[in-house]
Amino acid sequence: MSDAMLTIEGVAKHFGEVSALSSIDLEISSGQVIGLVGGNGAGKTTLLRLMAGVMEPSSGDVLFRGKPVSSMRAKLGVVPESTGLYSRLTAWENIRYHSRMFGIDDTVAWNRTSHFAKRLDLSDSLSRHTKGFSRGMRQKTALLRALAHGPDILLLDEPTAGLDVTSARTVRTLVRQLRDEGGTVIYSTHHLAEAQQVCDRIIIVHNGTIRADGSPNDLLELTECSNLEDAYVALTSDKARARTEEPRSESKLARWWKVFLTGRTPDTVGGDDDE
Amino acid sequence: MMSESWRYIRVISAKEIIEFIRDWRTLVAVIVIPLLIFPALFIALPMLMQSEAAELDALTLEVVWQGDVEDDLHLKYQDLKLNLTFEELSDDAENLSDPGSDLDRLRNQEYDAIFRLRNSSGTWEFSILHLSTSEYSAEAKARMLGALYDWEMEVINGTLTEAGLEPNETLNPVKWDGNPEYADAATKGEQAGLALSLFIPMVIAIWTATSAIQPSIDMTAGERERGTLEALLCLPCSRVQLLAGKWLAVATITSVGVGLQLAGLMFAITYLASSSIIGVPSISWSSVMLLGIAILIFAIMVVAFELAIAMKSHSVKEAGSLLGPAIIFIMFPAIFTQFINLDGIEAFWFSVPLVNILLAMRELLLDRVILEHIVVWLVSSLLYAGIAAWYAARQFKREDLVASLS
Repeated sequence: MSDAMLTIEGVAKHFGEVSALSSIDLEISSGQVIGLVGGNGAGKTTLLRLMAGVMEPSSGDVLFRGKPVSSMRAKLGVVPESTGLYSRLTAWENIRYHSRMFGIDDTVAWNRTSHFAKRLDLSDSLSRHTKGFSRGMRQKTALLRALAHGPDILLLDEPTAGLDVTSARTVRTLVRQLRDEGGTVIYSTHHLAEAQQVCDRIIIVHNGTIRADGSPNDLLELTECSNLEDAYVALTSDKARARTEEPRSESKLARWWKVFLTGRTPDTVGGDDDE
Repeated sequence: MMSESWRYIRVISAKEIIEFIRDWRTLVAVIVIPLLIFPALFIALPMLMQSEAAELDALTLEVVWQGDVEDDLHLKYQDLKLNLTFEELSDDAENLSDPGSDLDRLRNQEYDAIFRLRNSSGTWEFSILHLSTSEYSAEAKARMLGALYDWEMEVINGTLTEAGLEPNETLNPVKWDGNPEYADAATKGEQAGLALSLFIPMVIAIWTATSAIQPSIDMTAGERERGTLEALLCLPCSRVQLLAGKWLAVATITSVGVGLQLAGLMFAITYLASSSIIGVPSISWSSVMLLGIAILIFAIMVVAFELAIAMKSHSVKEAGSLLGPAIIFIMFPAIFTQFINLDGIEAFWFSVPLVNILLAMRELLLDRVILEHIVVWLVSSLLYAGIAAWYAARQFKREDLVASLS
């Protein structure tokens, strides 16, 4: 049995006839920052959701220390791209709600939150309602919420998307500090420069498959390129797939009727996450 | 394991309730409106109507008297705050009810009414020309008709007496002896129970269904729309526990609304009882307990169903447009049930969805505890509530809750 913390074995994920991920095999060990890098629609968010146990794979297994990850969610800390904060609650109430769900005593959660809030420069805002929070403050609060119960692994979906330079740097610094303290972070991004700065290991996801997996230097050696951007282009040179494909059997009239009735275009079938 | 499940449910419902009541509009919808609706309907509205009637009583109205003048009737009209103007009958009308040239005077509200009287070979003929859309005109007509009735009785009594007959015996040869109220075997409390049974089940059903809509949508489709659902699904609880937590929150909010509405109703009834308009209903404790169970099962079913529909929706707007019309499916049986005769009712009625609970509430408000009916509505309602909960659980387990977040 391997000493991997998170194991993904032969995982595929389909939404109807659309294949979001196929033949994914990964092992994630502790004490690393792992970057999931890929363009929009590549499958990063779906892969993260499988790792977070909120989705079940169509085939294959996602295991946390040998057990199905869906039964081990208490060991995970997740920051989805939408942050998911309740605007009528204060930042601390948002954090406390989640920590109580994880069975953590309020005092313990508060101490952990205070500790990380100082690093993220958010201590003064913990008692404020999150309604007026900036994107950066929301992201930081979501991070504090994910850390409050002391997870073994942190899953971050585009944690710096939409953040100003200072906030993005603060988040990246915290991620590195967590790694230095022995933590494990899986970090989804489509910024190569950011991945290079933060990640020990980069997994390039493209068209629902893993194109490369290794340290930034490994990727450069593999592609014989001088920088990661060129390496990424070389590894993903085939055309990115359309986000979804509509089944051919549906008539034009049926498609028009569906769009008329639902107001949604057919390409939302497989999910509208920013993959 | 059980305590962990309960912790999840408790934490989720507490958070949902706190978040929900932090919106002042919710407080108005859940507390103020339910509390005031019945006192407003049963106390304030009659008071307003009385005040308006008193105002109308105090008015002096303009009336034209055309044709013959009868002295006794004239005397009665003088006591009615009518400002009378006397005129001759015009010849252009075919009969007394034909307004003829007086039509415009009424329509322009120059006068409130025109009274026409003619003695034709010993018979008095009359008409009151009026404008039914005018309250003043209707009031003038009502005052004159009342006086005319009294005068007519005096004329009849006089004629009968002249003929050597006793008026009361002649006009009322068959009469009820004693006070008819004393002949009713039902107590005042039972009569009050009957009156309440005609609308309390309907109020509870409709209010439970309507007041659960907003929190149901907010806690499901609202979560999807605001992007908070994914973080919630990452928590270690199962989706059934998540549903149970949200159900408890919606049920609590709805119960508070229904409870306050009933409190307002009880206050109104107590107020009316003090005026001897209605008695305080007498219901046994067993009926009260069964009534509570019936309402609880109804709430389980309705709230679970509404949560399921709302969770199925992709947006608050979609959920609203689905759940709004769905209320018809509650309202129709609620109204229909009021017309079902409870005496000798067949047991199968107590197994019809929604109708069964409403009938059960009606029966219990009449303090009729019939074992066969109780077993049928209890078993069938639990079955329907179970189906609703199962359907809601299915909606909460759907994978596209995450895959198609708004």
